[in-house]
Amino acid sequence: MRLLLTAAFVMLLPAVAAAQDHGMHHGHGAMPASDSLAWRMPPMDPAMPMMPGLETELPPVAPFAPGGGMDPMMLPEAQPSEVVALADGDTLRLEAGLVRRTLGGKAFVMYGYNGQVPGPLLDVAQGTRVVVEFTNAIALPTMVHWHGLRLDNRFDGTLLVQDAVQQGETFTYELTFPDAGVYWYHPHLREDVQQDLGLYGNMLVRPPDAGYYGPAHREEVLVLDDLLVDAHGLIPWGQEAATHALMGRFGTVMLANGVPDHHLTVRRGEVVRFFLTNVANARTFNVVFGGARAKLVASDVSRFEREAWVGSVPIAPAERYVVEVRFDEAGEHAITNAIQAINHFRGEFYPHVDTLATVTVLDTPPEDDLSEAFATLREHPDVQRDIDAFREHFARPPDHVLDLTVAVKNLPLPIVQSMEIDTLYVPPMEWNDAMPMMNWLSTGTQVTWILRERGTGRENMDIHWDFRQGEVAKIRVFNDPETFHPMNHPIHIHGQRFLVVAMDGVPNTNLVWKDTAIVPVGSTMDVLVDLSNPGRWMLHCHIAEHLEAGMMLSFRVGGGGDGAR
Amino acid sequence: MPALLLVLPLLFGALPGPGAVCPPEYYEIALVPTGRVPGTGGSTGTAAVAFAQSPFGIAVSPDGSYVYDLHLTLRRLPPARDGVYTVWISTPDLKQIERLGPLGAGHRATGRVSWNKFLVIVTLEPDAAASAKWRGPVVLRGLSRSGLMHTMAGHGPFQSEPCATYGYF
Repeated sequence: MRLLLTAAFVMLLPAVAAAQDHGMHHGHGAMPASDSLAWRMPPMDPAMPMMPGLETELPPVAPFAPGGGMDPMMLPEAQPSEVVALADGDTLRLEAGLVRRTLGGKAFVMYGYNGQVPGPLLDVAQGTRVVVEFTNAIALPTMVHWHGLRLDNRFDGTLLVQDAVQQGETFTYELTFPDAGVYWYHPHLREDVQQDLGLYGNMLVRPPDAGYYGPAHREEVLVLDDLLVDAHGLIPWGQEAATHALMGRFGTVMLANGVPDHHLTVRRGEVVRFFLTNVANARTFNVVFGGARAKLVASDVSRFEREAWVGSVPIAPAERYVVEVRFDEAGEHAITNAIQAINHFRGEFYPHVDTLATVTVLDTPPEDDLSEAFATLREHPDVQRDIDAFREHFARPPDHVLDLTVAVKNLPLPIVQSMEIDTLYVPPMEWNDAMPMMNWLSTGTQVTWILRERGTGRENMDIHWDFRQGEVAKIRVFNDPETFHPMNHPIHIHGQRFLVVAMDGVPNTNLVWKDTAIVPVGSTMDVLVDLSNPGRWMLHCHIAEHLEAGMMLSFRVGGGGDGAR
Repeated sequence: MPALLLVLPLLFGALPGPGAVCPPEYYEIALVPTGRVPGTGGSTGTAAVAFAQSPFGIAVSPDGSYVYDLHLTLRRLPPARDGVYTVWISTPDLKQIERLGPLGAGHRATGRVSWNKFLVIVTLEPDAAASAKWRGPVVLRGLSRSGLMHTMAGHGPFQSEPCATYGYF
């Protein structure tokens, strides 16, 4: 009976939402007031009825949506990302502004860089230096973080090194690109809102060696995202603090390169090199290339020691992977997110597949046959030699140990009771939002995600690590499963590169330089950080709502050019 | 020096030493004896569950199922008389069964599983011959931690039919 009542309520939601939503207006301050905007509960799976007692609960923060009630038709439609080739010394003007995005036939006010979603793709040669003159044209204070770049600390785009860029203000960034690969840029203030609304873009750093990657017929940059919408539109964001603080904001619509229907056409036998970036707030994708053979080549900051065949690419928020795929069967193929979702109410796993993009494979072969080269898995001795200098540190005890945990206060009682029962089993990874109502109701005012230093007991920004430039630090991260709400955390380290040398004590046999790596629930990850870049940097969880709920620390790398304040 | 030896474990807890495999205790499966085989009623064991080696840190199959390596350790298990201790894995509804093989030296065994909920079963087989399903008695068995995810709905704890009858996998 409860199931039926809940399902009926969900079916009525669009009408309820339409009656409640009576516009927004501009306000003042860090987050413009939008007190005329009403909360709507997020879409619920009728098979997962909400907990009794939550029906009338609302997040204890005001709702926020961009544009202050502006008619989206007054804005230009967001354009696809344009490739901007930048040579050494070039300057790019980059503006964060309002755009119109049309999804599922509905127009929304959202954000974009230079009117594009994703933002412009910066195409640069390794070793170049470029200038980005950034202007903030949105009402929220913002700044740009250049994710993965080992750049001058002054331009890392965090509050550790610069003031927020207010509306109408500019900030000039100088970027350097010491490492080849795919990188991305995004805000580092309220990214749960700004990044989710479309402020993200890629940087493709070209190596000087033409044979750096294997031969491919084409290259495709694929930016993966999701967006939380219901029949009425975008579910508002929290104004004073992030909603969805427990699990992060999972979307209901899958996006590739900013659209729900991304499509590409290739010829039969073509080898496509995909540069994948996960810009979602919280979702880890398990990317499957429609049965086509996929070769894993590189990740965040380097190629792997050895290429490897993979059946899918699990990619956590902020991670990047470079994968070469050969489409050898003509027809329509889907690039999907294939997961085993969880229904906590029924206590079961169930397979769930979302289409991220589609590929038409024409029945005409390309002029040059790359099948032989594609069939070969390459080793990268230069990567191995680069890592050799660090192998002496692999087995030594850690310099620092972090426990990942969480504290909550003032959550609605049904959530607390439910969570206490539910933690009889917590999966290593949360692939879907299995508790959308409870998750939505939890905000950064009630939830504190914690990096706790073992030994000192210090937490989050009370942790201060000092390193010498050139030092190699071993950091152990343990994701405590015995907490109020354990969850996987993609840990990102700014300005440096690191190796995941072991997971749960099992040595990693195919290393790659990373800047972000996932720590499943219950697991222990050992990373070796190459502290080559001086300054004051951050280490944090890259689930946007977990970052907003405090899960960050800072560390200093001493040395010349330390630009920290 | 002894103090230092005491302090270090306190600082770093029960985490692994350099190079020591330490699967998450949280997902460890306790193996419980059936008592059906004389002399084995006091036996205990664990199946440690760790992600299989993967370039991604986590190991999942193309359908999203976790891919785990199992490390079985059995204790107080008497030497097998008239048979071979053999390790199996199965889905909870017993529709899919895989034989991992005989227990190895020191009553240890390893294997791989890519089911989200599963049973680990140790039987006493009449011989080492491969078979699709066990023929001998079950000596110990255990359920993956995910089997506890059964709290919000279902047919209740006192009914005798398997959960799968009701569609709960």
